[in-house]
Amino acid sequence: MKKLGILVVGLLLLFLTACGGGEEKSSGEGKVTELTVWNDWTENRPEYKVYKDIIAQFNEENKDSIHVKIESIPHDQYETKLRTQAAGKQLPDMFRVWPGARIQPLVEGKVLLPLNEILDTWEGKIPEGILKDYAVDGKQYAIPANISETSLIYYHKDAVKKAGFEDFPKTYDELKDLIKALNDQKVTPIALGNKSIWPLQSVYISTIADRFTGSEFLPNTLSGKGSFTDENFVKALSVIEDLAKLKAFNEDFNTIDEAQSRTIFNSGKAAMHFAGSWAIGPILEGVENIDNIGVAPFPSFGGEGDTAKISGAAGGGIALNAELSGKKKEAALKFLEYFYDDELYQGLAKSNIVVPVQVEMDDSIPEIYKTANGFAQGGLAPVYDATLTPELTDMINNGLQSITIGEKTPKQLAEEMQKENEKGKK
Amino acid sequence: MQLTGKSKAALIIGLLPAFLIYTVFAIYPIIQSFYYSFMEWDGFSEMEFIGLQNFENLFQDSLFWNSVGNNIFVVIASVFGQIPIALFIALLLNRKIKGLKIFRTIGFLPVVLSTVVISLTWSLIYNTKDGMINEILRAVGLDFLAQNWLGDTKWSMVAVCITVIWQFVGLYLIIFLAALQNIPEEVKEAAKIDGASEWMTTWKITIPMIWDTIIVAIILCISGSLRTFDLIYVMTHGGPSHSTDVMALYMFNETFSNLKYGYGSAISVFIFFFSLLLIGFVKKILGQKFI
Repeated sequence: MKKLGILVVGLLLLFLTACGGGEEKSSGEGKVTELTVWNDWTENRPEYKVYKDIIAQFNEENKDSIHVKIESIPHDQYETKLRTQAAGKQLPDMFRVWPGARIQPLVEGKVLLPLNEILDTWEGKIPEGILKDYAVDGKQYAIPANISETSLIYYHKDAVKKAGFEDFPKTYDELKDLIKALNDQKVTPIALGNKSIWPLQSVYISTIADRFTGSEFLPNTLSGKGSFTDENFVKALSVIEDLAKLKAFNEDFNTIDEAQSRTIFNSGKAAMHFAGSWAIGPILEGVENIDNIGVAPFPSFGGEGDTAKISGAAGGGIALNAELSGKKKEAALKFLEYFYDDELYQGLAKSNIVVPVQVEMDDSIPEIYKTANGFAQGGLAPVYDATLTPELTDMINNGLQSITIGEKTPKQLAEEMQKENEKGKK
Repeated sequence: MQLTGKSKAALIIGLLPAFLIYTVFAIYPIIQSFYYSFMEWDGFSEMEFIGLQNFENLFQDSLFWNSVGNNIFVVIASVFGQIPIALFIALLLNRKIKGLKIFRTIGFLPVVLSTVVISLTWSLIYNTKDGMINEILRAVGLDFLAQNWLGDTKWSMVAVCITVIWQFVGLYLIIFLAALQNIPEEVKEAAKIDGASEWMTTWKITIPMIWDTIIVAIILCISGSLRTFDLIYVMTHGGPSHSTDVMALYMFNETFSNLKYGYGSAISVFIFFFSLLLIGFVKKILGQKFI
């Protein structure tokens, strides 16, 4: 019995020391400064390879002084994990962040390190308007690697032609005619996967609402100078109701996710797919005949907004932990300067990612990428979930889903949102 | 085994590691949740003490009560679905039949499968366009019965519950089978000699003899359904229009998506007491009547 006791105590000690040991190592001052970077580069996408290759190259060039370790977390869990770790003050040295409202809480929690001291590096290279997506109160917290346009219409040229349209509809009324014509031919008009409830908001409403209300509406409303019950905003929400009533979507749109809906589009079962620039790669890879795929901006809805605009935001930024100091901070800043450089942007452009800097394009670059890249020139409208508070985002996401199945009217949702908006002000 | 003073010490030492781990990972977080539930906290900034404000909001939050209602639906469906079906199959299997092991394995298989796999597979089965159920219904000319199982608020909860039942029947089946095999042959033989029919034996002897096990199974079933999360998270994400939201999922979304850690903790505290009361209540009625 005594022996057993000693054994147990021994094991216990071993367990406790093993637990305690892990923490020490990472902060130890070795010769090589190790930095951990968190990201969501888990899928097998060409742009992720570009990111990883550049990091590998950086490690190779600085192998005596700095080593950057990559830790990838699946996209859907990434932000939850980041926020949870941030709440526990256990963030890694560097981590991928999203712009606008999504870095706001991190900034307020003072867990991010401002990058203003190295900002000169990108002066004149990345337009001010795009850089500011990652800035809060004049302080820059990350450098954008790409622009994510959230509202593009991909379509099968032959299907649209068969429905009687030589060119893709330019107005909403024409689009509705196209949807009706496609339905008559028993082709699913639009492939949508809204189980994860963000597509109708991020892809659809961001641009549709902008067409109705203009880009000033959203920031104004959030700061209390406007209201979500604005007639134009309600009209924008009604578009979703219209589309659902027209049976514009595949029947199972509330039970499949965004990637699944892309498969429906790629297979040709649906004529259109509304998605962001992130879909370019998967579509190019998934369809048989690329030449048959067209990309168009959202039509005009006859509202007050600028029809050349498309909703979009900067992306791909990596932020630094506010607790970095001394050697580690130096190494991290050096890494950022190395990372966000021509090689990255060129690599990304080759992977069909819309980038914030001018890059040369040769003929090998597919048409739909060039077209999509061109849309960004018309100016970017705010993306709803990059601008709204998390509560409002959750509300509009769920509300739009309710609208599609007739459980809520656009007006009700607008009123609810305004109530929440006013509550947040107090 | 007699416990002398010495071996008692050994016992304590032996329990200590497990107890420590349990304290750190279960008891401490629960206490922590209580503490957070009195705070307004977004996870980053300073906490602010707001007393019972979170609970006040909670009781007025219709979406939360919607999730409580759905959760009770899951509990009822599980208790009245899983337990009787499992018991029925267990009674059938509790005899000398060929391939008993195969049946047992088949029954237990869903329990071993990952919930994500189950959820995705069932989502495909339920798919309104080319899901198995609707395909079969259409093939036999019952088109009017075909539904948008997960996409229609009328059916989504039922569809989810069927999957929950399917997933856990196997677990209770194995528990019941083990209990049935512990019933001494003599008792049953005596009943047979007294001329009791199979039906009588089942109701008067078999069921009462495993009643303790049934109660344990019911309680396991209730506590399991109260914390349903993963299956619904993958299958419907609580949708459409919150029709399949359950308490744990609502808590998760409020806490981690909406960054209301204090409010989320208040929900957890509510779930804690709600579960405790419900299980205490069930134990009381089942316990007093039959044993």
